[in-house]
Amino acid sequence: MVKKVLLTLGALSLIFPAMAFAGAPSAGMLNMGLNTLWILLAGVLVLLMQGGFILLETGSTRMKNAGHVAGKTIFTMGLASLIYWAVGYGVAFGPNGNDFFGLGNFFFNPPIAAGETDGYATTAFFIFQLMFVTISLSIAWGGFAERAKLSSYLIFTIFFASVIYPVVARWIWGGGWLAQDGAQDYAGSTVVHLTGALVAFAATVLLKPRIGKYNKDGSANEILGHNQVFTALSVLLLWVGWFGFNAGSALSVGDGFFAYVAFNTQLGAAAGAVSALLISWAVMGKTDITTMLNGALAGLVAITASSAFVEPWAAVVIGFLAGILVFYSVKFFEKMKVDDPIYALSVHGAAGVWGTLANGFFATEELAAKVGVGQGGLFDTGSWYQLWVQFESVVVVGAFVLAASFLILGVMKMIMGFRVTEEQEIIGLDLSEHGNYGYPEQMKKAQQKLNA
Amino acid sequence: MNDPVMAQLYGLVGTAGNAEALRSLRDQIQQRMQSLLPSASVEQFNNDLNGMHDALIARGIYVAEQEMARMGMGSPPVPYAYLLFGSGGRREQTLASDQDSGMLYDNPPASMDGGAVKQYFYSFSQVIVKTLQQIGYPPCEGNVISSNPDWCDSLQGWMDKLDRWFEIAHWEVVRYLLIIADGRMVCGDRSLADRLKEHYFRDTLDHPVIVRRMLENTLRYKVLIGVFGQLITERYGPQSGSLDIKYGAYIPLINSIRLMAIQGGIRATSTLERIRALRDAGKLSEQDSAEYASAFRLFLRLRLYTSEATDEGTYGSSGKLAGSRLTKQLACELKRGLRTGKKLQRRVYRQTLGKLK
Repeated sequence: MVKKVLLTLGALSLIFPAMAFAGAPSAGMLNMGLNTLWILLAGVLVLLMQGGFILLETGSTRMKNAGHVAGKTIFTMGLASLIYWAVGYGVAFGPNGNDFFGLGNFFFNPPIAAGETDGYATTAFFIFQLMFVTISLSIAWGGFAERAKLSSYLIFTIFFASVIYPVVARWIWGGGWLAQDGAQDYAGSTVVHLTGALVAFAATVLLKPRIGKYNKDGSANEILGHNQVFTALSVLLLWVGWFGFNAGSALSVGDGFFAYVAFNTQLGAAAGAVSALLISWAVMGKTDITTMLNGALAGLVAITASSAFVEPWAAVVIGFLAGILVFYSVKFFEKMKVDDPIYALSVHGAAGVWGTLANGFFATEELAAKVGVGQGGLFDTGSWYQLWVQFESVVVVGAFVLAASFLILGVMKMIMGFRVTEEQEIIGLDLSEHGNYGYPEQMKKAQQKLNA
Repeated sequence: MNDPVMAQLYGLVGTAGNAEALRSLRDQIQQRMQSLLPSASVEQFNNDLNGMHDALIARGIYVAEQEMARMGMGSPPVPYAYLLFGSGGRREQTLASDQDSGMLYDNPPASMDGGAVKQYFYSFSQVIVKTLQQIGYPPCEGNVISSNPDWCDSLQGWMDKLDRWFEIAHWEVVRYLLIIADGRMVCGDRSLADRLKEHYFRDTLDHPVIVRRMLENTLRYKVLIGVFGQLITERYGPQSGSLDIKYGAYIPLINSIRLMAIQGGIRATSTLERIRALRDAGKLSEQDSAEYASAFRLFLRLRLYTSEATDEGTYGSSGKLAGSRLTKQLACELKRGLRTGKKLQRRVYRQTLGKLK
């Protein structure tokens, strides 16, 4: 009770400094309260990113699947929260266990408040970490889009939130074996984005391309999303949320270092948007909106690993290269006949790999020491060590996620079936999985035209 | 045209009495031409092909005139000139081309009933368009066609229309004005067509600002070559990898040359003739004119390639060159041509704006 009062007063003292003298909480308590406030706020910002994913995925796909695509994001977020609370959090951050997976804190029952020697309330930390799982999951859904059964979303969420994601998080953030090697992944270019993208890859390979994506002669068709304004708005929401994603990962307010992280984040995203627009113009003769939006996201994904480890000029370079990379990556996957409706493989996969490796080049000794993870990269120190560690973490995490995803999704495909029938796919998942269209009036009109 | 089979077919065109006969002659001639294609130079082939189109269209109009008489509408009350626009006007029709046309008839004397004359030519144009359709020329999608009342008028009517267009000068009429620049009489009274052209060029000189508007339209289509000198091909669909020769190479070039010709007061309508005339008038150097002409011949040749894929029944053309046909040597040639096209666009841009200053 005393603590609660103190915490309240601490928080209030932000707004009414004069009151601080009345309750006089200790400096430690104030610090803890501020950190908690920031982490929780950052968690809420990351939650807002789901709004971005809903719009991104819906805008990039067709009208007949809109309700399904949007609604399943909310549903799986709910399911993932329960699973992560029951199992996943313990696997990632459980106090017992080993370098590969944690044990303990299952059905997490946190203390109701924190003390003045704590950095923050663990409840805030849990919320923040939970949001990351759901983001990674929403990235994975990109590979499922427009053709996976609703039941496969349900089953896969259980495995993803309990095992796949938590194990990776353990290795890199939970004091696991890659963390001990000094792997730098500040806010999750690898843990969140690459993991999600590789699930998407496994899913899209197992599902095969959507009907009508490729012609008999192997040439690709463009299946345009139904609302480019949604897609653009989604990028804005994600961009805003990303400040929580990256800057929140500081887990403290302290000396204001989290704002430096936010600063680099902005530069990386900005450079990605600009470079993607330029490269699409240079190569295709026209500036492509979708490419530009992908570029902004790729800049964000890439700077996620490095935002705390590099200087501002390097953040610009990292984002700029990510924007160019995403353009060629989209072309590459299309040529490989991998149908990736919302470009998850390129935006989160290719840019995630690049962002993680970028630390190996651009991290500075000073910032690595400040964060307390790994060491400076090739350009600052002349040493190849950090680049090697980054490479190792990408390869190891990549291999694990790919193997686990192919196994789980493959078994699901065998036992319960993964893809809807052709009839269902053509009529749209809104109707086949839920019985109602997301855009009833428009779809009815289209249907009438079809029958006429 | 030394081919004896061809000569015989042409003789038959001159005596054919109905559209069906002309249609079957067209098929035979085109078949014959396609077999001769590999041995002919592109310019020669183009001339022969357009000679065929001209002959077929002229005969088609004659057939339509007979049809009018048969229907009891009599014969043309005043002299007329049937104009072709677009590729027909430039004598650059491919094996598959549509009808872009206009009807121009002499001002009826005061003794005649103007309304009846007008009515006659409206009906006449309808019959012509229908006849040409039967010969295998689909109507123009943009409705630039003599059966559209806007494109069927007396000389005075046309002149008033031109004056109005030059005054209004918004994008749609600017497009019409550029279309008129390619107008060529395919059959009828030459002096009528000459008088209209005369008026057109006088109007152009009186409205120097119009060329700025024309410039915007002229440069609308971009040359499909990127900043790295790469070809910009289709990304998606069954034709992905193909290059849009028509809109990415041919049209930008003919548009640019057309604008230079309008500025230079040159009456010729075919692109090669325009280039020659510009050179003779000292507006183009020997070297530049040779460069433009060779790029044009290349595009023309590739454009002919693209119309090979014809659907059953009608002659159609995608205007796109399949990626599989782009050999290394051809791609290299094409890039050179496209760079020339881009250079020409820049030149026209600078020249036009420079003139306005």
